[in-house]
Amino acid sequence: MPPELSVVLAVVTAPFAVAGVTPLLIRSLGEKTGYAGAAVAAFCFALLGTQYGSEGTVELAWIPSLEVALRFYVDGWALLFALLASGIGALVFLYSPAYMHGESGLARYYAALLAFMGSIIGIALAADLIAIFLFWELTSLCSFVLIGFHTDDASSQYAARMAMLVTVGGGLFVLVGFLLLAFVAGDVVGPGTSAFDLAAMLNRPDEMQTALREAGLFVPVLGLLAVGAATKSAQVPLHFWLPNAMAAPTPVSAFLHSATMVKVGVYFVGRIRPLFASLEWVMLFATLGLATMTICALLAVAATDIKELLAYSTASHLGLMIAGFGFTSIVGAETGVFHLFNHALFKAALFLIAGIIAHETGTRRLDELGGLRHDLPVTAFLTAIVALSMGGIPPFSGFYSKELLFEATVEASHHHDLGPLDWLYPVVAVFGSIFTVLYSLRFLALFFGRQPDSLDHVHRPPVILLVSPAVLAALTAVVSIDPELAVRAIVQAGIDATAVDPGTHEMHVGLPTSYSPAVGMSAVAIGSGVLAYPFYDSIHRSIRSIPRTVPPIGANWWYDAIIERLTDDGAWLASRVHNGLLRTYATWTLTATCVLALAGFVATDAAIPTALAGLDVPIPAALVLSLAVVAGLAVVTADSHVAGILTLSILGFMIAIFYILASAPDLALTQLVVETLVLVIFLLVVEEIPEYYEVSLGRIARDAALSVLVGATAFITVLLTTDARPVGESAIARYYTEHAVPEGGGQNIVNVILVDFRSFDTLGELVVIAVAAISILTLIVMRARGDETRSDESSVAIEDAEGGSANEPRESHETRGESE
Amino acid sequence: MSAFVLAFVVGALFALGTFLLLRRDLIRVVWGLAIVSQAANVYLLAMGGIELGGFETVPILASHGEGVPETTDPVVQALVLTAIVIGFGMTAFALVLSYRVYEEHDTLDASELGDRE
Repeated sequence: MPPELSVVLAVVTAPFAVAGVTPLLIRSLGEKTGYAGAAVAAFCFALLGTQYGSEGTVELAWIPSLEVALRFYVDGWALLFALLASGIGALVFLYSPAYMHGESGLARYYAALLAFMGSIIGIALAADLIAIFLFWELTSLCSFVLIGFHTDDASSQYAARMAMLVTVGGGLFVLVGFLLLAFVAGDVVGPGTSAFDLAAMLNRPDEMQTALREAGLFVPVLGLLAVGAATKSAQVPLHFWLPNAMAAPTPVSAFLHSATMVKVGVYFVGRIRPLFASLEWVMLFATLGLATMTICALLAVAATDIKELLAYSTASHLGLMIAGFGFTSIVGAETGVFHLFNHALFKAALFLIAGIIAHETGTRRLDELGGLRHDLPVTAFLTAIVALSMGGIPPFSGFYSKELLFEATVEASHHHDLGPLDWLYPVVAVFGSIFTVLYSLRFLALFFGRQPDSLDHVHRPPVILLVSPAVLAALTAVVSIDPELAVRAIVQAGIDATAVDPGTHEMHVGLPTSYSPAVGMSAVAIGSGVLAYPFYDSIHRSIRSIPRTVPPIGANWWYDAIIERLTDDGAWLASRVHNGLLRTYATWTLTATCVLALAGFVATDAAIPTALAGLDVPIPAALVLSLAVVAGLAVVTADSHVAGILTLSILGFMIAIFYILASAPDLALTQLVVETLVLVIFLLVVEEIPEYYEVSLGRIARDAALSVLVGATAFITVLLTTDARPVGESAIARYYTEHAVPEGGGQNIVNVILVDFRSFDTLGELVVIAVAAISILTLIVMRARGDETRSDESSVAIEDAEGGSANEPRESHETRGESE
Repeated sequence: MSAFVLAFVVGALFALGTFLLLRRDLIRVVWGLAIVSQAANVYLLAMGGIELGGFETVPILASHGEGVPETTDPVVQALVLTAIVIGFGMTAFALVLSYRVYEEHDTLDASELGDRE
């Protein structure tokens, strides 16, 4: 069944449309705008539901000349991701009004959250590389606004900037990767199909891979796209922005970490998996994913803040998904898709629960929390379901997808020759999982044990805050009890779309009934985790001590060092280039222009013509021009303003005579009028100004050198361009000459061009002159008027501030405003 | 045909104009602007080819009849004409701006003005 274009368009545009009118909604609904947002998300969810089971491409022409279209591809994988984004979006909107109660800037919050959801749905459904890139960067932009929601908080600003730099930077890698991909795809998808059509490429995965390899672009494109996916999905060593992003309000964190931003990279890796599946793919993504999974699980154990713990655990689970997709077997696809689904449910719930804890206890520090089950019994029950699912404890949902990962690591060597990685992959997977068990138990332990004395007044959360985590926990419970239900409903369709050879395998999950290597690995991981839990504090401390002794091991350290260096260098450069002195600006601009122009000539091997075929201008003209140059020299050496102005006029009049000699009577007439006017104006102005002489002559040599450079560039340019001029009359000149009389009714061709053929240009010219005239008038006349108002104001200021000193800065401020 | 004389003149005017642009005296900066725009106009006209003025070469037709003759390029002349007028506007504005700056700050020294920022 093909999807409906109208429905898909409505789903993608509705969040943006409502985001646009959010300020109006805030005015009428106030804090209840969150419920309107939930309605929009639910609307998108329902519309997406109508497309359930459909598959195919729909498109809307956008930039036909570049073959760029708003093209959407709907299949199981796209629907799974879009449904998660809108469904969890609805729950987050439902949770927001109670959580964000009393905060200011809600219009910005809801607008950004809606646009964010729309961009995620856009990425899920888009099938055009350009559209994917645009939505990709839109998510970065929206997350910047959301993470930096507390605009007056320095840590919030820092985190927002970091997320923006890392993810937008990664997006640029994706852009380059896309362009290279489109370059290769043009031949593969054939004429009639756009080279940007990802769906068309996915239809021919083998041909695409062969073409990429033949062009020698397979590894570069794979690498570029991997960098983009790694920045979005917080893979080591680009994971550091994610824990910092916890500066965002908790509902945003829940959305950001569960179903949206960070899953974009995973989603995209799953999407392009059939195109790139190969040994390189396994080496890259399986290694990257398992490294991230282990390192971030360790860092989660080292966390001191409940949101930090969850943030690192998100990165760790993203590593698990990436690793799953990294294995090219069908089990790999099952791991990636099923874990993405499970993780979205339990992690959104966990963040919302963390929000409740922070909201009701007033702290997020792990060591200040404990024994909360008495005060928050419902929350404790919900946490048990989702935290055990996160830890991969049977029979909770996370167990099934982690079991699949173990199976994929064991099976990897059946498909590719991996050398020592063959046994390293399973070992690392088990090692990382031990820490997953550890931190999951630690989170659950918030509700058990002794309640610290500092926590004496823990309020019951309002019911509305509990609805969203309860729904998510209930879904997790359903998946835990009957994983096959989820598989049949949506996961299988996602696997078919991401598998390398789709349709060959039906997925089955359930509690193991007999021994297999994966079961053994699960037993080791869970057993070790539970056994090690009593030593949690010492493990926690020893991991924390590592980055303190070796700072460069922390990714944050690198980020800070690079940013600091860039900031310093930028400030230094600005002080050199932008110092408020006209001559500095002129120097840099002119030097850069000359160097670029000359470099262009050198790069194109332009040869300076040497054939000197007599004089190129008539002798009278040459004489007049040399007089002009002499006049120019006199202007430069003039020691008074009057002398300079008169010699400048000689130069102008010489040029006018040159125009006469060069068959341009109209130019000569204009030039004569203009020169006369300029002379008069100059003399009028100079009369008001005392003679001014150069004070210092220190920079003469340097200025002369620059002038010679500019002159030489102009000399070479004129030589080269006049030499390259086509012989004879140009077609355009011929056209105007022939049509001047029949169409313009005039014999003076230049005049006909100006007032008939190109009269709009002349109108523009007149506007420029009029604007200049008005500006001059303003500058001269308004001065007098400015004086009047200023004297009024300063008299008031004097009364207020009893003295002239207060009036001094105001005056200089005002005059600057005027002269601008 | 290459244009050594024109190239030399344009290059020399550009160099002189640039030198003036770099002066500290704002009035001299305005002169520099004026000279550079004159040079650019000459260059533009040169691109259309220079021919000694005469009855045949001037882009003004003698009659309404058929068979128009080949004249010098009228297009560049139209462009230069526009450029002259715009250059006039710019020079006048820059000059009055300098005058105004002098009235406000009692100096025309660009370095001194820059330091006040």
